[in-house]
Amino acid sequence: MHEGSITIRLPADPKEIERLNRIVRQFGDLHEVPGRTLYAVNLALDELVTNVILHGYEDRTDQEVKAHLTVQEGVITAEVEDGGRAFNPLDAPTPDLNAALDERELGGLGIHLVRSLMDRVEYRREGEKNVLTVRKRIR
Amino acid sequence: MQIKEDKQGEILIVTVSEHLDTSTSSIFESRLLGMVDRGERKIVVDCGTLEYVNSAGLKVFLLAAKRLEPLGGKLVLCALAPSVLMIFEMIGFTRIMKIVSTLDEAIRVLKGDASPA
Repeated sequence: MHEGSITIRLPADPKEIERLNRIVRQFGDLHEVPGRTLYAVNLALDELVTNVILHGYEDRTDQEVKAHLTVQEGVITAEVEDGGRAFNPLDAPTPDLNAALDERELGGLGIHLVRSLMDRVEYRREGEKNVLTVRKRIR
Repeated sequence: MQIKEDKQGEILIVTVSEHLDTSTSSIFESRLLGMVDRGERKIVVDCGTLEYVNSAGLKVFLLAAKRLEPLGGKLVLCALAPSVLMIFEMIGFTRIMKIVSTLDEAIRVLKGDASPA
């Protein structure tokens, strides 16, 4: 594993997610992040950025999302920053995993995955920006 | 993403490959729900070549299973890669969907002659 970081700026367009995923996987491979950890971080970042793109802006035109990825001291950290309306996705209710099929809700799946895949998830409002930080110990 | 369909008697085998994500899940959703709407009731989704699924893709499986249940139909998933299976477990889908390890087993389940475990 090698230490390093990358900043990715994406237009707020759902089509950009695929490019984000490719960049994250390449970054992970170059820094020799183990497969399972990389898969988890890739998926968590996908969910967070998708959430911002689909729900963060009244009008997505000319808006962007910034993702910052760092590998340092055995921990991979991803930070997602957007200038959309104040929104903390961690306020979303946890889906009831014990519900029967006909009662399972369709919402909340993404953020539940993020919480489950990552060791730490934090939200903060910084001026006009939402910043979501997730961390995972590399193993 | 690629989607293939193969009808074997009453059973429809759907193979979904590569990445099921935000940009591809709406296509998969309209295809899979379209199969239910045209009368398919026994559907296997072969995930043997599915490498990646996010919540948008997971939602499609949930929608299809929910739509089939009151119609007396059944959705069986098979051959999930360990990383994909982990996501299904994490989200609790292994409790509400039939997930088996091989296509043969999925077909046996849908034919109703699965041998007891």
